[in-house]
Amino acid sequence: MYAGPISRLIGELSKLPGIGQRTAQRLAFHILRADDDDALALAEAIREVKEKVGLCEVCFNLSEGPRCRICEDERRDRSLICVVEEPADVIPIERTGEYRGVYHVLGGALSPIDGIDPEDLKIAELLERVDSGVSEVVLATNPTTTGEATALHIAASLRDRAGANGAVTVTRLASGLPVGADLEHADEVTLGKALAGRRALG
Amino acid sequence: MHLAAVESRGFRNLADARVAVGAGITLLHGPNGAGKTNLLEAVYFGLVGRSFRAGNDRDLIAYEQPAARVELELAPQGAVLLAATDRRGERRHLLDGRPLGSSESRPLVSVFHPDRMELVKGPPAKRRAHFDRLVGALWPARADLRTRYGRTLAQRNALVGRIAAALASPASLATWDDRLAAEAVPLIESRAEVVEALSAPVTELGAALGLEGMEIRYRPRVPPERERIGSGLAERREHDLGRAYTSFGPQLDEVELRFGGRALKRFGSQGQHRIALLALLLAERRALIAAGRPSPLMLLDDVMSELDPARREMLVAALADAGQVMLTATEREQVPAAAGAEVSAVAIRDGRPLGAAGLGAADRDAA
Ligand SMILES: [Zn+2]
Repeated sequence: MYAGPISRLIGELSKLPGIGQRTAQRLAFHILRADDDDALALAEAIREVKEKVGLCEVCFNLSEGPRCRICEDERRDRSLICVVEEPADVIPIERTGEYRGVYHVLGGALSPIDGIDPEDLKIAELLERVDSGVSEVVLATNPTTTGEATALHIAASLRDRAGANGAVTVTRLASGLPVGADLEHADEVTLGKALAGRRALG
Repeated sequence: MHLAAVESRGFRNLADARVAVGAGITLLHGPNGAGKTNLLEAVYFGLVGRSFRAGNDRDLIAYEQPAARVELELAPQGAVLLAATDRRGERRHLLDGRPLGSSESRPLVSVFHPDRMELVKGPPAKRRAHFDRLVGALWPARADLRTRYGRTLAQRNALVGRIAAALASPASLATWDDRLAAEAVPLIESRAEVVEALSAPVTELGAALGLEGMEIRYRPRVPPERERIGSGLAERREHDLGRAYTSFGPQLDEVELRFGGRALKRFGSQGQHRIALLALLLAERRALIAAGRPSPLMLLDDVMSELDPARREMLVAALADAGQVMLTATEREQVPAAAGAEVSAVAIRDGRPLGAAGLGAADRDAA
């Protein structure tokens, strides 16, 4: 329908989440009409983010170096790990100012329907971290079907290894969050309360 | 919140018109085929966004019209609910021009119609879905129990299927079993509570309408205990892996309607099924009122034809205590004036509600 480069751009844009064919076309023509500087700045920003930003080798949060700023920070309590689904879930918890531990980003949640099994998440890496002297793991996965199952699975795995690493307390965020809501959309006050009122999992 | 008026355009055989709806009982009367049931259907379509009849949306659109469209005016806030469907199959359902959110923003509705007889004599899935919705109507905070359980069940089924096909390890199956058990507990408890709330009124109203010994019964295959459900799932694990589905849990439960100690769906006559459905809907209405919830809008199609005069009077008296009712009858006399019942009657002939405001061509163009 369009010349090669344009249909390639439309094709790439339509792979983005929430972007359908029509929106991709609109964006492509917007880029085509834009100043050369603006369009190239976009291309450069994409290239830079892919080159410079990777995953932290410890917690799998986004990071510009081998380790993220939180893992580098000497003042953070390394005996306390907060487990979240996505890098975006770290931000609202940081914003509460209530949390002084470190994180572990799973990279998703268990969802057999989408073919996501425990091996597809950074669960083995979490268990290894816990083995090296951690006193509490806060499970802050979303209160959704998949988030609850993920929390349950990790809690059970930690229990199974309890013999190896002694007593680690496993807690879940208090249920101040509305059922089915994403962490990403929770406000600071609610989330702060949920953190303060976290409870031990059996 | 109640329905103040219904306005339809291009809907089945109905003339484009606006019909005011009274606060109590509204009787739609006229000969067979006049359009009484179509007007009830228009109200339901406006509230729910689809029909209560079997068949597809296109059947709702009048001959040679591009679209069927219903507007409901809600009192006292004056909000307008609009439902429309056109020949390309495009649907709209809007409240004051915005897509509908929670069910809280519109009245509950309860329908008696031959196509609803499935609730009495159809497969158990229809009754489960119905009573799970009633749970949400009685206790809005529990409205998502069915969805939550359904989502978790779908995940467990997907996992069982993938394990059976050697695409996934069974490592997380125990996790999903436990989650499923956890979601099953409040669902089973709520169904039991709903059936408990309906039990006495179903028997009483059934008898009053002529069906002696009617009962509603829920016997879950497993008590609402997380450990028991979990171990039940574990016991059937091999079986489930062989068939790639989940063979245990409340998704297979039956809520039974019975009379004279037997299952109504197998042993009842057509007339007994009709009375059972009416008794059930009235019992639900009573349970909602008792729980402090608003009485649902009752849409009752031709309920009088099989009742004797004494029972007709009893029914009108029972319906007059709260909320709105729209019912159809071929003869006006089929709905007797009962003590305290305020009945406003609307005659319908050839799709035209008599005395209703017609909608001019200009209105139709504006639509
Ligand atoms: Zn890190």
